[in-house]
Amino acid sequence: MPPRLNLFTARAVPALCQPSTAAARRSIATIWNANRPSTTNGVKSGLSASAQMTKRWNSSGSDGKEKSEGFKGPTEDPLPHVSEEAAEVSKIMDKRCDGGVSSPELEQGTPISEILQRDKNAQKHAPKVMQDQMKNQSGKRSFSTSARRMQPELEKSADFDDASAALVANMVSQVNAQAAELHPGLKFDAPSKPLGKTDNFRSRYDGLLEQLTKQLMRDGKLSRAYKDMSFILDHLRTSPPPNRNPRRPLLPGPPNAQLPLNPLLYLTLIIDSVAPLVKIRQQKGIAGGGAAVQIPVPLALRQRRRTAIRWIIDASDKRRDSNFAMRVAQELVSVAEGRSGAWDRREMVHKLGVAGRSNLGYLMNRR
Amino acid sequence: MVSSFCWSCLTRLPTASPRPMLPPTLTAQRVAAFHTSSPLMAMPPKKKAPGQQQGPKHRTATTFKMKKRKATDRVRPPPVGERRALRKRIVLSNPNALEVADMQDISAENMVDSRLRGSILGLPVPMLDQLRAVQAFKPKQGWSIFRRPGTVTRRETLELGRLIDGISDKPEDKGKVVKRIVTGPRGTGKTVHLLQAMSMAFTKEWVVVTVPECQDLVLANTSYAPLSEKNPNVYVQNQATAALLSRTVTANQKVLSKLKVSREHPALKSPLKRDTTLEALANLGIQDPASAWPVFQALWTELTATSPAPGFEKDFASRPPMLVAVDGLAHWMKETKYRTAKYELIHAHDLVFVQHFLSLLKPGNNQQSVLPNGGILLYATSASNSPSIYSLDVALERVAARQNRVYPSSPDYPMPTAFSHPDERVLAAFESPKSSVPTEGTLTLQTLAGISREEARGFMEYFARSGLLRQQVSEEWVNEKWTLAGGGVIGELEKLGRRLTVPVQV
Repeated sequence: MPPRLNLFTARAVPALCQPSTAAARRSIATIWNANRPSTTNGVKSGLSASAQMTKRWNSSGSDGKEKSEGFKGPTEDPLPHVSEEAAEVSKIMDKRCDGGVSSPELEQGTPISEILQRDKNAQKHAPKVMQDQMKNQSGKRSFSTSARRMQPELEKSADFDDASAALVANMVSQVNAQAAELHPGLKFDAPSKPLGKTDNFRSRYDGLLEQLTKQLMRDGKLSRAYKDMSFILDHLRTSPPPNRNPRRPLLPGPPNAQLPLNPLLYLTLIIDSVAPLVKIRQQKGIAGGGAAVQIPVPLALRQRRRTAIRWIIDASDKRRDSNFAMRVAQELVSVAEGRSGAWDRREMVHKLGVAGRSNLGYLMNRR
Repeated sequence: MVSSFCWSCLTRLPTASPRPMLPPTLTAQRVAAFHTSSPLMAMPPKKKAPGQQQGPKHRTATTFKMKKRKATDRVRPPPVGERRALRKRIVLSNPNALEVADMQDISAENMVDSRLRGSILGLPVPMLDQLRAVQAFKPKQGWSIFRRPGTVTRRETLELGRLIDGISDKPEDKGKVVKRIVTGPRGTGKTVHLLQAMSMAFTKEWVVVTVPECQDLVLANTSYAPLSEKNPNVYVQNQATAALLSRTVTANQKVLSKLKVSREHPALKSPLKRDTTLEALANLGIQDPASAWPVFQALWTELTATSPAPGFEKDFASRPPMLVAVDGLAHWMKETKYRTAKYELIHAHDLVFVQHFLSLLKPGNNQQSVLPNGGILLYATSASNSPSIYSLDVALERVAARQNRVYPSSPDYPMPTAFSHPDERVLAAFESPKSSVPTEGTLTLQTLAGISREEARGFMEYFARSGLLRQQVSEEWVNEKWTLAGGGVIGELEKLGRRLTVPVQV
């Protein structure tokens, strides 16, 4: 991010060159002002002040006239303003190495705060706003700006002996502060991208858990379904490890004894193991004669799981327990032990799928 | 005479009128006029072979018929009491969970050890029967997922441990009575605090008397009757009292079987033998619930006795301190579901059982404290099952104010708002002036809040070491959960610990 301000404005150059001149002393003074917060300070200082100054000059009549191009007639060049004439004189009289002018007041105008410092009478009749600002120079800042005080560079910059080094440090800190201002409202660091999966509360649970919970939901009562889901997981946690049936094996995983301690893995193994690979579609009109033909269609992972969950919930309806969550939990364990009716349905579908492989030719011929 | 016509001619005479021409009949019936058998008897047309005709024909319109799901018949409802038993079932062990290696049991030594703050102390297995007998465990407290029950040692626990230790062993604290009402938001561990107090009291061989659920006494679930002819407005609950005796005897059998009666009890039906143990005395009330209340009074007198009556000196042993734990106090501060003979609601303070336990909050009389042998009264409110009773709120505020030395004479002393009609009996029940006995403390209020971050860390590590939490327990993670749990509310921390979220991908 480029800084908004030009670092090396015209004000900074003489200070680096001749630190002992009045102009340089002024800019050193602005360093200390800049370290203080600028919001409650009456004196607009530092780079932002000089930026404003340039802006004022651009719009002011005297300076703009000087720079205007084009041919000027003999009558169009009146005598310059008194102060400009004096400036010209002094420019000639005490010229500097850099060609700058000697008096800071002529070059940049006089800040109102300096006038007020000199003139006690003017201080007394100053507008109330300015008087208030002068009184409350050590006012409290809002909390949101206090982070800048913590910056170690700023703390250290007070120790600099060399004013020019301090000036550079000041400018760097100014730029840092402005860069920080570009992200308003962030007290701490912005989170790193990409976000973790748990950072969004909608995806804090496993995908399978979400899918099962939504399918457990009855009458749109989601929080009831969440409660049932946690009951099921606790049942898997506390029920004894399953005696696996070798004819209906679960997918490969950890040994039996470790399954209950990881109920999520246990549940995933159960559901993925009974999930069918295909579904059977009854397609009419491709074999001719109006007969429907059974065509196996492969399923995606989510579809497979959905089918398995539906079978398990259907099979659990035959159980006697009055608690729905308990019925489903017991059915899940019986699936793990190879006893559930969901396995029969899976075998049936797979048998039809194998038998229907030959029918896939109809689909090919139709194309 | 012979006719002029011959017979043959006569027969050939043409008919007078031509025969009427009928149109040919169309029906077969008319044709076959002479058949007498019914045409229905004929062979019926042959039906086509089944299978070809069934079902709707190809490309004919069919009406949509929704299949009715066959209702699975619930054969019969479960037997009476089975569902309740399932609901109230307390499971204290999960054999699948891992055993935490260096978990200590609560004992007389480590209940005052402040180094153990934030660690989990297990409940000793022999004590579990006692704790079950006094119904210290509640069904939804989440004991069932750990290998064995254990509790977090928090700041309040250690303070309680020192108190119990002092009353038992230190001579300067002998006979000290501490009266506390335990309150706090939901899930902050009030009931478990009582459980910890009971476990420590069992360790020190105190007598523990509990009312595990105040609501059971006011729901009109147990029988009730006027106390006597003289006191028709006070009601006794014999079954509930017998249950209380049963709890007390089962849990404190070891202590009570050693103690003998120390005086005559004329209120009992039959005089007792001299060497009757307190266990046998209590069993009288369990066997005959009609006499449960006099037996309970006799037992209470024996337990609070400091010296034997004349003639009973031989078998007298000094009585141990007592712990009285009551849970769900707010249910005792309103009208019950019981009715008088005039069909008016009975106030809970008219039940003699309730009266007895509430009178313990007051200072004792006859220059004796309510528990002359020392002990602790812990009365806990409930935040999950609690009727909203304004008078109780004010009364508890007053207790807290007196604790902070704001006395009734002060303008800051909490008063019920105007026209709120507070229940004066409730307010009076918690008015506890300073006792004349120096060892008897005044009623204080103890408000439990969330546990500290260090204690929360110990709790979360317990989950991880039991194998229930598959996550790295770091400082940052614990702080996050501590904040999510409302500043360490331990019930919420427990929910977060067992919740299966997606692990953080690093």
